[in-house]
Amino acid sequence: MGFVIPSSKHRRYLSGADWIINALDCMLKTVTCAGNMSQIVFMLDGEIDEPLLRSRLESFIRKFPVVEGRVSRDLNLTPLWKIPGKAVVGVNLDVHRVQAFSSLNDVFSFLENGVNRLFKDENEHLSFHLVQGGGRACFAMTFDHRLLDARGAESFLHLFRQFLTEGDESRIEEGVCLTAPACLSDWGRKFIAGRNLNRKIISLSKPTPDALPVPSGNDRAFRYKVVSFGADETAKIYDNADNSAGFMMEMPYLLAVTVQAVRGLFQRKGMAAPNYVVPVSLDMRGSGDIRQELFFNHVSYLFFKVLAEETVDLKSTINTIKQQMYDQVKSGMPADVAEACLLTRIAPLSLMKKIFRIPFKGRIASFCFSYLGKGPSMASGFMGAEITNIFHMPRVPVPPGLGFFFNYFNGRLTMVVSYIEGLIEDEDIQMLEERMRESL
Amino acid sequence: MTKEEIEDKLRQGIASITSRDKSSIAVETPLHEMGIDSLSFVEILVFIEKSFNLRLIELDLTKKDLETVDALASFIAGKL
Repeated sequence: MGFVIPSSKHRRYLSGADWIINALDCMLKTVTCAGNMSQIVFMLDGEIDEPLLRSRLESFIRKFPVVEGRVSRDLNLTPLWKIPGKAVVGVNLDVHRVQAFSSLNDVFSFLENGVNRLFKDENEHLSFHLVQGGGRACFAMTFDHRLLDARGAESFLHLFRQFLTEGDESRIEEGVCLTAPACLSDWGRKFIAGRNLNRKIISLSKPTPDALPVPSGNDRAFRYKVVSFGADETAKIYDNADNSAGFMMEMPYLLAVTVQAVRGLFQRKGMAAPNYVVPVSLDMRGSGDIRQELFFNHVSYLFFKVLAEETVDLKSTINTIKQQMYDQVKSGMPADVAEACLLTRIAPLSLMKKIFRIPFKGRIASFCFSYLGKGPSMASGFMGAEITNIFHMPRVPVPPGLGFFFNYFNGRLTMVVSYIEGLIEDEDIQMLEERMRESL
Repeated sequence: MTKEEIEDKLRQGIASITSRDKSSIAVETPLHEMGIDSLSFVEILVFIEKSFNLRLIELDLTKKDLETVDALASFIAGKL
């Protein structure tokens, strides 16, 4: 056990996962119109009081100066998040009124614009959007992944909901942990983890995975397709997952169905027998109090390689994914990734984005995937309206510039396909949706 | 090993995987109600392989075999 340098009230040391997210942010800002951001969307069955929302958001954000922090380095070279004494910038809330709001399509352009807009400076990491009209509303929070991961963003809004309803708002920030050690000890363990990760990357790189060619131009936006399944459809999908992949094997099942659909897409694009490498992000939090790990990134990754011959039918794709998941968990891969990433923190971000392109002939992955299952209990009310659905709209690392994100809320599964403009066409998206619906 | 001993060991393993107190792991509570997802379930399967030398991932298990600690303990007891 080596010595531990704790972070202080105004600086929080970044983990290896945080540094990877920062490198992806740098990469995305170079090749697209904005950084490594995402957006969480609440669909509401009623309109909400806009001035009240603005004032309550302002009071809430003032409790968390960390949201106006920025990346810096300590004298010992460890990257850290500099936290100001108080939040001063205020809330960036866009409000739009629409005449007709019968479906998500009526407000979708506002949501896409929200997640494709660069934050105005290095201290802004959140923006909010409210679109309402015709007795319905849509509330969205765009967030910088350097500040929050997907589960953290859900929990941040859950805390905001508590703030709206609880009488004693002075204690809302109690229990939120903003310290982390510098992790400058146990180097032997980190290097062994690094060796294990390197071996994994080498094994994934042969044969080279396929990915769609990224269109040229460095200011492209992301486009999205949101597919929400009804309660009955969702129940059927979970039953199919149980029957085809086994009890609690929803993630391997959804990934296998996605691989099958992407196979059709790649074949349409002229790739006869594509091989895939898919990173899947994992929430590494315990099931304890979410406030302990609300901010920053608490993720690791599993990597799946699916060879062309393993995609001949759904069952063989499921089996290979399940087996790889089991083997990686057994060998401690998620913990190795977290440990090994700590070693990367010495590298400047400009170097990190080049390192990412070394393996896999610069392709990084075939597509990205995540599944957020039944998470922290989200009651369904928000400022007097019912939340009818929640989904995420992440920007995906480029390459591959293509991602599939599933989440479950209130008995319904939603799939969001995220892709960089020009990578695929409307007909491709339609084909993907049809294939997914058929297979799920 | 008795079924009670298996249950006790399973509760200990699940408590460690889910960062919960062992006393909060009731044998009749469905696993999905404990916030267990695909990853933590695979961690439980790995724990079972290491503790009982049983590779459950390769067996054709049904929801009934695995839904609760009680069902899982019965299944393991039948295989040992």
